[in-house]
Amino acid sequence: MREHIAVGTRRLPWLTIDWPGRAALVSMASVLLFIALWALATATGWISPLFLPSPVAVAQAAAKLVLSGDLWRAVLASSARVFAGFFLAAIVAIPLGVAMATFWPVRAIFSPFISLLRPLPSITWIPLTILWLGIGEQQKVTIVFLGSWVYILLATYEATRRVDPLLVRAARNLGAGDLTVMREVIFPGALPGILAGLKVSLAIAWSCVLSAEMIAARNGLGSLIWEAKDWGDMTVVLVGMVSISLTVLAADVLANRIEILLQPWERHRRH
Amino acid sequence: MPAILSAEHVTKSYPVGGSDVVAVRNLSLDVEEGELVCLLGASGCGKSTMLNLFAGFASPTSGRVLLRGRPISGIEPRCGMVFQSYALFPWKTVRQNVEFPLRMRGVPRHERRGMAEFFIDMVQLNGFADHYPAELSGGMQQRVTLARSLAADPEVLLMDEPFAALDAMTRQVMQDELLRIQERSGKTIVFITHNIDEAIVLGHRIVVMSARPGRIRTIIPNALPRPRDIHVQTSPAFAELKSEIWSHVEEEVTQHMAASRLAEPV
Repeated sequence: MREHIAVGTRRLPWLTIDWPGRAALVSMASVLLFIALWALATATGWISPLFLPSPVAVAQAAAKLVLSGDLWRAVLASSARVFAGFFLAAIVAIPLGVAMATFWPVRAIFSPFISLLRPLPSITWIPLTILWLGIGEQQKVTIVFLGSWVYILLATYEATRRVDPLLVRAARNLGAGDLTVMREVIFPGALPGILAGLKVSLAIAWSCVLSAEMIAARNGLGSLIWEAKDWGDMTVVLVGMVSISLTVLAADVLANRIEILLQPWERHRRH
Repeated sequence: MPAILSAEHVTKSYPVGGSDVVAVRNLSLDVEEGELVCLLGASGCGKSTMLNLFAGFASPTSGRVLLRGRPISGIEPRCGMVFQSYALFPWKTVRQNVEFPLRMRGVPRHERRGMAEFFIDMVQLNGFADHYPAELSGGMQQRVTLARSLAADPEVLLMDEPFAALDAMTRQVMQDELLRIQERSGKTIVFITHNIDEAIVLGHRIVVMSARPGRIRTIIPNALPRPRDIHVQTSPAFAELKSEIWSHVEEEVTQHMAASRLAEPV
């Protein structure tokens, strides 16, 4: 068990009693208490079900959507768009970021465009992309791409610039040429920063796809929420919101696993 | 015998805040093949600058730096640097670090493994070949760096205070190992240190440097018998040599301290 910075143990000595799963149990109790209060507030009529449906109603709606398969289809549709757009963004932005950080003409050519594109939220691309691409898959993937590639690029650029120049010097002193330095020193040196950037951008990619789906789409989690809103069905809206949270959390867990696999030399930090 | 590595009237200055700081002024030095030369001096004496010039990381402002009579231009893999801060590739295991220069030299795959094994054994790290640098102690990492530099088979090894960060006991062991390796391989080594004992234990010759700007104060030959184990280190001859070197260094240090006291704002 790792040491943690702990406070409050002097006044409340029972906090120091350690047993497995104590934090998980307290977390679970905390969630259950929240749901109980929510149920109480709606059952007593303190909050009108028009504004906030009861947890039971939300659970029923969720069960119906799961059983009919609608929820899975929505999660799958959105995930596929995120994956495609994000993958394209990564294969464009990572090489470009490394090139910008290591070769100044590339930096000079691209930096004005990046400065202009960076402040634009992906939602502002929706009118143009609909005009160019319609409201099909291509447009959704494009929105994800446009919303995430700049962040991946900037993370890659910063990570590459921070690679220890001493290691580059050492590699050259050992007889390495440009290509070897790039492949075996700069890229692995920048990898932790690139992966951290990818994880942040993945969350951004999810918000991109949801906004695109809310504005114009026939399926996906964003459209599920938006259509339910039109029917005034807040239970489905809440189911959609919880599904988004769970899906993005799952994606994050997956990303952490991949991060560990890609960096075996960081293994000592996990012991 | 012609020198393998030489500096001819080398001056090196760096621009610092609008004016030039002279790190080394008009320094000439010949390093013979197979010898271990120690450059000894306090901080600011330009010894690291000289090493960077020999490695080709920087070029002299005036004068020439020659390897086998030819000017060094650009990073020179034949002058292998052993960095003080190890500069190991964190994402490569010990074996992969040592194999790196072998691959750069074009050693075929089937020979690489055995050669890497040989150098890892030489620095007594057998059993740690598949560890990553972060999993090793400082002394072990320093030995990996040494093995990696030896695997590159440079004509000259440049060592920049390689043992400065080690504890006294590990340093003693590393010095013994370096002497043993140098005797066996006959490598030419330029070794930087600010530790007089270390310079006497290691050097065939000891180049005492003076500071600001860096120059050679004197060169002292060291005829003490090798290996310079604890018996040699406690002998009268060792103490005599040490006090001779100290008399040169002391003057430098006191001058230097007086100068910096004057330079301090009141």
